[in-house]
Amino acid sequence: MNRSLESWQNEAIRCIRCGACQNVCPVFKELQVESTVARGRVKLIRGVINKDLDLTEGLIDKMSLCLMCKACVANCPSGVKVDKLVEAARKEITEKKGLSPLKNLVFRLVLKNRWIFDTGMRTGRFFQGLVFRKGPEGQGMLPRMSLGIDKRRLLSPLAQKTFKSLYPEVVNVPEAKMKVAFFTGCMINYIYPDTGRAVINVLKRNGVEVRIPPLQNCCGTPVRINGDYETAKTMAKANIDVLLKENYDSVVVACGTCGLSLKEEYAELFQDDPIYLEKAKILGSRVKDFTELVVALEGFQDKMGHLPLKVTYHDPCHLARGLRVKAQPRKIIRSIPGVVFQEMDKADTCCGSGGSFSLYHYELSTKINDHKVNTIKETGAELLVTGCSACRMHIADGLNRQGIAVQVMHTAQLIEMAYESKQRRITKNLGV
Amino acid sequence: MRPETIQRLSEIVGKDNIYTALEDLYCYTYDASFVKADLNTDLAGVAVYPGSTEEIARIIKLANQEKIPIVPRGAGTNVSGGSVSLGDCIILVLKRMNKILEIDRKNLIAVVEPGVITAQLQSEVEKMGLFYPPDPASQAFSTMGGNVAECAGGPRGVKYGVTRDYVIGLEVVLPSGEVINTGGRTMKNVTGYDMTKLFTGSEGTLCVITKIIVKLIPLPEAKNTMMAVFPEIAQACETVSEIIAAGLIPCALELLDNIYIRNIEEYAQVGLPTDAGAVLLIEVDGDSEILGKQIRKIEQICKGLGAVQIRIASTQMEAEELWRARRSAFAAVSRLRPTIIGEDATVPRSSIPAAVSRIQAIAAKYDLIIAILGHAGDGNLHATILTDETNVEEMARVEKAIKEIFIVTVELGGSLSGEHGIGRAKSKFITLQTGEAGLAVQRQIKQALDPHNLMNPGVMFGA
Repeated sequence: MNRSLESWQNEAIRCIRCGACQNVCPVFKELQVESTVARGRVKLIRGVINKDLDLTEGLIDKMSLCLMCKACVANCPSGVKVDKLVEAARKEITEKKGLSPLKNLVFRLVLKNRWIFDTGMRTGRFFQGLVFRKGPEGQGMLPRMSLGIDKRRLLSPLAQKTFKSLYPEVVNVPEAKMKVAFFTGCMINYIYPDTGRAVINVLKRNGVEVRIPPLQNCCGTPVRINGDYETAKTMAKANIDVLLKENYDSVVVACGTCGLSLKEEYAELFQDDPIYLEKAKILGSRVKDFTELVVALEGFQDKMGHLPLKVTYHDPCHLARGLRVKAQPRKIIRSIPGVVFQEMDKADTCCGSGGSFSLYHYELSTKINDHKVNTIKETGAELLVTGCSACRMHIADGLNRQGIAVQVMHTAQLIEMAYESKQRRITKNLGV
Repeated sequence: MRPETIQRLSEIVGKDNIYTALEDLYCYTYDASFVKADLNTDLAGVAVYPGSTEEIARIIKLANQEKIPIVPRGAGTNVSGGSVSLGDCIILVLKRMNKILEIDRKNLIAVVEPGVITAQLQSEVEKMGLFYPPDPASQAFSTMGGNVAECAGGPRGVKYGVTRDYVIGLEVVLPSGEVINTGGRTMKNVTGYDMTKLFTGSEGTLCVITKIIVKLIPLPEAKNTMMAVFPEIAQACETVSEIIAAGLIPCALELLDNIYIRNIEEYAQVGLPTDAGAVLLIEVDGDSEILGKQIRKIEQICKGLGAVQIRIASTQMEAEELWRARRSAFAAVSRLRPTIIGEDATVPRSSIPAAVSRIQAIAAKYDLIIAILGHAGDGNLHATILTDETNVEEMARVEKAIKEIFIVTVELGGSLSGEHGIGRAKSKFITLQTGEAGLAVQRQIKQALDPHNLMNPGVMFGA
């Protein structure tokens, strides 16, 4: 979308400043200052549009203080798309002021060019020791030098081998019921291949042929929400071409953020490009979250064995409020024999990760995370399940920080465990 | 503002609780009203977030010495322009003082700090089987201090009254910096003038409220909800009067006009006939054994006066479904035009039909969309003007229409504001209701307590 910031005026004036966003904005809950709540952000954006305010450092900072969690949008009586307004402001900032040097390097060179990203991430495993040091008790990594990232931020280490290098392009099953493409997203590919493996195993067991198009890129969301639309479009085009090359029944995602970009936001990006707009819409109509696909598969529960676990579930922002997937993962969890499902208080409140937000506003992001961790603790669950790798990393970081022994995994991994449990029992009964 | 003043304020509240950047101060140039401060003339000098009564007293003494105006502010959700910055002032935000100090079951009272969120207090007392009834639409995020300062109301006003009916004691910091206590913990109290009632609804013009004692009542055992659809709005209005005249006092009696009905149906598909003139949403509460009887009586009245459709909720879920129509009202009309101005004129209940038809005539005269949604049970009509604030020509017509609505309201024996307050939005109309002599008395009270006009100047009385 090449809309100017000015063209968002009509969206901005729909904010009637009622203040209802104060009730749900995770950033405001911590900072309590008017300029940090959705209503304040919208006012500041209007200030830029009507030339009351310039794109000062102070303004740029206020615009960075948004998790893009959409809680205000869902709760707004007039339905103001605050996230889109903040995105438009960030786009304006990027165009007029440029990106920060690190973001510039990461977005324009690395994320955009799959092979640099790939090589970087693979060799990154060897080099990350130079830049990052081991966290306390050998957990995760802490940045050694200033990258503009908070030096206390515990990141999960890169995987030994990327997910895509572990699997062939086509994972065949005999007499496939359907053929789907798996859009892995960066975190599954580089950090959590175990989630990717679970997605494949579960779909395979249900007779679904999975293809992993090798030329897929990062979905582009980190770039887009930081205002770099040109790079985002290049990445979106590449993904659209790759994913429409063959006629898949569905394009499966296991990340709400990637899913939302493929399903809806690509079409928004190409509002003024009729050819890609059409393509983006076709792609969008095929995108399904992994759990949406699973609950639609006949007999997916029949293969589940007993798991004596108390489980709670965290709704990722972009899965719950973006793709509107809330019921499916719960249905899956509840259908596992032996699992006790305990809903946590405010399961759909943001965990505080916000992608790169947690890198730049680490302390704040930790405070937001503390609430999430406490509500998880209150459930008494021993396992937290979620549908997003960024949430998984951030919540695991929080639990670890507070010394709480709750395991964290993706919904796909829980199903995989349940399937394995049944498989083991069958094998045992057969006396093999 | 002088750097020395900011330095001293910073010493009082701590450097983490003071804001001076343009981007921060810009966010105090508005509240939930359509009053907007001018960036060039009205930007505040500083915003402070004090943590105690003592800090507030020190801030006010300092302001008094240096003659700096003070604008107290809670969640900034008031709809009359009572918490907007004005020139080189101190914005005094009370959100950090957010503790429920006491819930006293034996005396049926609660003591709270001003920054407590109203719904939070409600949920805490309800856990103990008690009830704090005032329910402004903003209750989930507005503060008790703000509710007291504005004397907030809400749908339950028809049966339970407004904030003023529950406040029995206050601790306030006067414009001199002195701290006084008014009222107390007793239900009866006639020692001296009723300063508690004076300060409740004083809109930040007389003092800063730092502690609030409210009375509580037992939580009603159950609720029963129904909806009645009428072909003509006049029939619905008459029904409201009949219900009250029959001695039945519902805890909510909400009226939606045809503009709302059509938009709600389009937006939320709740099954309302789009040609209906009005819908009444009625809720009774109390002892579960008598509720059924009350609802049946109300049903008879509705039928007798021409209701074409009546739905009675038999479960909590069905009640929620009926309320969904009312709750989606706002979102539904907000799709029509970008700017929504909610007026608050209140008339004696028996004048509702006249008020509605005169508001409709004003809408026609100025070629505006004015929808009506009201707490009809207490005569509190919310005429909702759907407009576009970027359209200068239309906004001029809006302003004329608002003025006429006020004149009509007063002619019908009503009030400029039922629950929103006068603020800056309606200050120029106040004499329509008080008269010159009435206003002079109010000014004298203000002058006596705040001789230098430092507390929220411009609010209520104009500049």
